[in-house]
Amino acid sequence: MLKLAWKYMRYYKSQTLAIFASIILTASLLSGISSLIYSSQKSDLANNKTIYGDWHYYVETDREMYESVQSGEQRDDYLLERCGRMEIRDVAAEEFLICFIHADEAYRQMTHRDLLEGALPEKEDEIAADGFVLSNLGFSGNLGDSLRIGEKDYIVTGILKSEWDASSGEMEVFVSDSFTGRGSQTFLYLGFDEEEKLYRQLDAFLREHEISSDAVVNNGEVTRYLGGEEPAGIYETVKFGLTEEEGNFTYIVLKLQSDYNLAYNGMIFLLCLFSLFVIYSVFSISVSKRTSEYGILKTLGISEEQIAGTLILELWTMFLTGYPFGCFLGNGILSLVYQKFSGVFGGKSTKAAEKVLSAADQTLAEGVNAARFCLSWAAMIFGFVFLMISLAVVALMVVRSLRKQSLREVMSGDTSFTKRRKIYALRPVNMAGVVVRKFMFSNKRKVIGILLSLSVGECIFLCTTYMVENLKIHAELSLKSDDGLGSEYRVSLKSNSLRDTIPETTADKIKNMPGTKGVYATKFTFGEVNHIEELEWDTFFDYQNTDDYFVRRYGGICLPQEDGTYKIKYDVYGYEDELLDQLDEFALEGSVDSETLKTENKIIAVANMDGQGNYYFYGKKPGDTITLRVPEMDHYTDELLKFQSSEEDYIEKEFEIAAIVSRSLAREEGFLQEGFYKDALMPGLIMTNEQMEENFGIVNYSFINASPAEDADTEKVSNQILQVIRDVPKAVLADYSAAIETQKNYLRQQQIFFSSIAVILFVISLFHIANSMNHTILVRRREYGIIRAMGITDIGFYKMILQTGILYGVLADVVIYLVYNHILRRVMNYYMAHVLQFLHVQTGVPNRVLFGIMALNVAVAVTAVMFPAWKMVRENIISEITESAGSGANRKEI
Amino acid sequence: MSILELRHVGKTYGEKENQVNALRDISLQVEEGEFAAIVGTSGSGKSTLLNLMGGLDNPTKGEIFIKNREIGALSRKELTIFRRRNIGFVFQNYSLMPVLNVYDNVALPVTFDRGKHINRKYIEELLRELGIWEKRMKYPNELSGGQQQRVAIARALVNKPHVLLCDEPTGNLDSSTTIEVMGLLKASCRKYQQTILMVTHNEAIAQTCDRVIHIEDGRIVTGKRIFPAKGGDEEC
Repeated sequence: MLKLAWKYMRYYKSQTLAIFASIILTASLLSGISSLIYSSQKSDLANNKTIYGDWHYYVETDREMYESVQSGEQRDDYLLERCGRMEIRDVAAEEFLICFIHADEAYRQMTHRDLLEGALPEKEDEIAADGFVLSNLGFSGNLGDSLRIGEKDYIVTGILKSEWDASSGEMEVFVSDSFTGRGSQTFLYLGFDEEEKLYRQLDAFLREHEISSDAVVNNGEVTRYLGGEEPAGIYETVKFGLTEEEGNFTYIVLKLQSDYNLAYNGMIFLLCLFSLFVIYSVFSISVSKRTSEYGILKTLGISEEQIAGTLILELWTMFLTGYPFGCFLGNGILSLVYQKFSGVFGGKSTKAAEKVLSAADQTLAEGVNAARFCLSWAAMIFGFVFLMISLAVVALMVVRSLRKQSLREVMSGDTSFTKRRKIYALRPVNMAGVVVRKFMFSNKRKVIGILLSLSVGECIFLCTTYMVENLKIHAELSLKSDDGLGSEYRVSLKSNSLRDTIPETTADKIKNMPGTKGVYATKFTFGEVNHIEELEWDTFFDYQNTDDYFVRRYGGICLPQEDGTYKIKYDVYGYEDELLDQLDEFALEGSVDSETLKTENKIIAVANMDGQGNYYFYGKKPGDTITLRVPEMDHYTDELLKFQSSEEDYIEKEFEIAAIVSRSLAREEGFLQEGFYKDALMPGLIMTNEQMEENFGIVNYSFINASPAEDADTEKVSNQILQVIRDVPKAVLADYSAAIETQKNYLRQQQIFFSSIAVILFVISLFHIANSMNHTILVRRREYGIIRAMGITDIGFYKMILQTGILYGVLADVVIYLVYNHILRRVMNYYMAHVLQFLHVQTGVPNRVLFGIMALNVAVAVTAVMFPAWKMVRENIISEITESAGSGANRKEI
Repeated sequence: MSILELRHVGKTYGEKENQVNALRDISLQVEEGEFAAIVGTSGSGKSTLLNLMGGLDNPTKGEIFIKNREIGALSRKELTIFRRRNIGFVFQNYSLMPVLNVYDNVALPVTFDRGKHINRKYIEELLRELGIWEKRMKYPNELSGGQQQRVAIARALVNKPHVLLCDEPTGNLDSSTTIEVMGLLKASCRKYQQTILMVTHNEAIAQTCDRVIHIEDGRIVTGKRIFPAKGGDEEC
């Protein structure tokens, strides 16, 4: 059998090469794209580790426990690779909340708090801190100088890297082990073996050390890539999604994504199917050319099993040689491309990250630099096994299909077409055109199959391009919006009292600085919206309502009233006109215009989002009204934030909604954004700064966002801002310029991932189109031979073939256009809006790309048909008629 | 008057040690209106000879004249046009277009030459004459072998060619259909003053033609037939 398989491969060289090429290309596609996605996820993980720290869990514990963990023997069921200890020795709460912490080297590494300059503290009165803390505490001297915190002076011995988001939480000052404070809280930061599921290792660790799972805090943004939580069963997930009221399709997708990495595993599976589809179609073309030979073999007494064995051996021989080569090729090329792009984008970030520490330290001292290209061995092995088995199944299917075909049928050509009882020649008609159309449309199932197969690659390409286009916009918008980093500089207040504000004069000074641009000073107050009649999502506020901090401070967030309505706490913002106008891009309903807001005293509402990309604002639309109450500042105490004091302590106003938006642009980092809800999308109402003053008498600002002017010395600008805010109590400056650059770099890398995938798929689909079109012509070579024998000229023949190519190309374009616009785009819109939760899903594929694809499709189809036509014209007409009619084995009679 | 003439025509396939001389120094004249049979054993070169005469293949040596025009001197395009206007083909395997019905199959060659101007009266006459008018809407795979061959003959005649070349036209037919087809070819030859050359390996059928040309080992055999003996040059 092996000999026969080998003989076939050598005899049908061009077909063997086509199958071999298809195996190499699909292996390149499968391994390359899987590695790209894998690298993308690794890059995401690295990015999140940079932002959230390179640790998996932390537990509050004591020194003994730490020592028992450190001295504990290595067990089989978990591998604790890193364990960092951090102790809060004391807290100073004057202007800012400052924690005196003592930490070991492992903790500093895990939280990216490396020493940049100087030395770590060794004596009781020595401290080290990051530039952000030092500069905001007013330290502008040299190492060794003293800094007063509370009632005591400390010697600053070293400068550490800053946290990613330095303005969040408390300020940390690092002290030596000899520092004794008023108390001690110890935390263990754990880093397990990332090759194994983290949740299993954590369970084993907790069991061994008898720690309650309630004491564990999960670094969710990191562990979600590493199996940080035990996954739910697939069956249970699907069942819940389909049967329960709270479940839906989006739930299933999101749950499978979080538990089983659906994007990666699903893509591998789809790529395997696509690869199989391409190899199968090329192989079936090859087999169709020797169908009669297998018929002859059968008449000679060779069993179907033996024929199947021959086919399997043929496929496997090519697969075993082609697959590793394809993997090597795909990964090799993509790795080179990847490194090239990573180098381009990584360079600037690295430079920024290595900058000498400025007075206001850049809050990101470590960026996601050149992303590493990681090989996805799992995908390659899965693909190998899947395709090996599938190819055997394909061979068996081919043999099965041969059983249904008699030699007589093979000789008669295609007889499965629809027979219309119409004589075309009775009217003036171009019979060559009739023949072309008959060839194409005589079997509708076949033509649909061909057109779909021609369109599949381009459709995937268009979908990917569509996603990349929207990803670009989403990246820009999310950087700009409240959950992004916004502007490079942010002056805010380390306070959660409405009494603390930034004076108007300070804002004016920053605006008038030559080194700044886009300075947006924002007013803030805390409010309560009354008379909300319907919530729609009953459980939306459940967590906030039971949060201790919110209950203690605000008396809950969403409070049902006796009359069946609700009162809901809201952040209320006053934006600058320019900033407000930018909000229009986020409008879900209505439009944002600062002038209209001012003249008609309207308000903008930030909609609630359910975690699945659905937005809702209590059934209200632009034009509806809401009643808003805010504390009267003359009598302000924090107690007023509960909105339970007497009526004269509040100002109540009714506003008409001008627009409902998906995000706010600048937001307060305290109040509703505290603790767990720091990065959450929280309720917000927005008006102009003038309206804040006119309606509620608020004159001063709560935070200011600014960007450096072009060519400005950023270090100088941040120092100037620090000088300006020095006299503003509790004001701090955060510099996000390096962080923004890093995020931009990361988003660019994401675009490269998707674009690379699109290009690879496009190349494969072009190969597939060329092969399919070639086949559609070659399969009719006998009929074309007859037409040539009937006296069609070469030019006439070429015209006929050209017509076929153009018709196929145009029809494939129509199919692509319809399938893409009417089906796939809707699916993509759903996927982007609800699964990926893009902020913007309106940007289509650029027309030049769409029409370029369509033109290329026609060009490839035409080229692909003209090549076999050219070969046919050079062939002897008689051999075309006789060889294709009977079998390849038929010798030409001489 | 001679309508077809071959002068020292030779045809060689392959190269060097794989070279096969399919035809050697063939000279032949066929008169207008003649119905000639070319007879020979399998591999003798009769089909090659027919294909060369029809301009479907090019000779390695010699010249072929049809209506006093040397077809080897024509360009590809000229040859194609000349062929479709002057020569009709009938193949053993019928070579009909499976996706076209009987009428459209017959009309197809006309459209290559005269565009959309089809003489439908003539086609009807042909189909009636050949007894397949009732089958005009049928597709080839719905017809018997004999009916398919009639369609092939109708298609060959539709352009009113001067020469009709038939390659084993009865090879796939039973004896009664063979007689019918032969009758049709003869009738056509008489009615349209056509010259017919028919390749066959059936001596009995050949004997019904005006003239029989024997061909063996690539050469025309005249008078006594010579068969090479196995394993040597001796003749028997």
